[in-house]
Amino acid sequence: MHIVDGALSSPVVIGGALIAAGGVAVGLKKLPLERIPAAGVLSACFFVASLIHVPLGPTSVHLILNGLAGLVLGWAAFPALFVGLLLQAVFFGFGGLTVLGVNTTNIALAAVLAGVLCRPGVVRGSPFVASLWGGLAGGLAIAFTTVLVGASLALSGEAFIPAAKLVFFAHIPVIAVEAVLTGMAVYLATKVKPELFGALTPGKAI
Amino acid sequence: MKHFATAVFVLFACLSWHSTPAEAHKVITSVFVSGSAIEGEVGFSNGDMAAGALVEVFDDNGTKLGETTTDEEGFFTYVPTAKVPHIFKANLGQGHVAQAELPADDVPFDRGGSNALSWAEKPGLASDTTASPSGAEVAPAASPAAEQTAFTAQPSFDLAAFEEAQRKMIAEAVRKEVRPLQRELIAYKEKTDLQTVLGGIGYILGIFGVGFYIAARRKLKETT
Repeated sequence: MHIVDGALSSPVVIGGALIAAGGVAVGLKKLPLERIPAAGVLSACFFVASLIHVPLGPTSVHLILNGLAGLVLGWAAFPALFVGLLLQAVFFGFGGLTVLGVNTTNIALAAVLAGVLCRPGVVRGSPFVASLWGGLAGGLAIAFTTVLVGASLALSGEAFIPAAKLVFFAHIPVIAVEAVLTGMAVYLATKVKPELFGALTPGKAI
Repeated sequence: MKHFATAVFVLFACLSWHSTPAEAHKVITSVFVSGSAIEGEVGFSNGDMAAGALVEVFDDNGTKLGETTTDEEGFFTYVPTAKVPHIFKANLGQGHVAQAELPADDVPFDRGGSNALSWAEKPGLASDTTASPSGAEVAPAASPAAEQTAFTAQPSFDLAAFEEAQRKMIAEAVRKEVRPLQRELIAYKEKTDLQTVLGGIGYILGIFGVGFYIAARRKLKETT
């Protein structure tokens, strides 16, 4: 999921950085004071989630949890995930500093899209329905991310196209795991703290 | 609701059971000189090695020098043909690109003759280098000269008599002994421990704390 330094061509790297910068700016503007702690907690969640590996056959995949961030934070997922990615790059060497923009765009833009699509369902429904929508958001966010990763690889050159197609299929299990986890998290949150999803910012709904 | 919370926790516990923090999908490449060849390894930091991966070799201008493939343990060897910086690149797919560089000084290539012998294995060169320090040592020390020359001359004489095959055998043995250490060192470098994770979380809290502070100050200014 994290693209490493040197895998992408410069136009893709620069384009990704520009989109990420724009997203972070929009996200910071839309981040109300009350939401900053939530953004921090979700950023920390994302930071640690990548260390949780799910064994899968001969290999293993790690969690991303960007769907949950998109549901709770909306556009503010951009700064939250950016901080998480930055620290992952610095501390663990995941991805790299030059491709930070592309990685932020791939993960946060997908989170925002999934959040926009599924948030209404989460806010309105009963806890059970909300958890279904939450699961959908969790899965969709990863699916969107794989599409974006594939696109950035494909845009970088012919050689990457078969690999780009591979990304999606390799991540189908992650989509399933994330959908289940996000669904459970949303069920828990709607029971315990229903105001987490947008109720705090009725006027600023994304 | 309560057992849902426990269910989530149990799930997380099950997931993290199989995971050590050291495992991460990060590509690791290392190259090291081995006699007249360059050896290297390509793999992921979770221990999977990249088998049958194509490793392309470039110089610092981006000119392709050659290519080689990894064996089932992610191991590859490449015999250099020029004394220029060697850059090894392997594309493992899905945005995983491995890259390692060996500076020109370390490239084991003998400019003069056949590449079969590296400089240390050339008998003439080896005895030259051992002879010159012993000669320099003898010159200033005047009185116990006879004993000293006999003493220092001895190893140079032995080295000259050393058989090529034996020297190669020792080099090979040392290489074999050092290889696991090299691997362990690389693995150690890639390790993420609890301190790092906690440090990262601390940074996140700090960053958002500063953000909170700035936002709160702005809000206070608005109200006053």
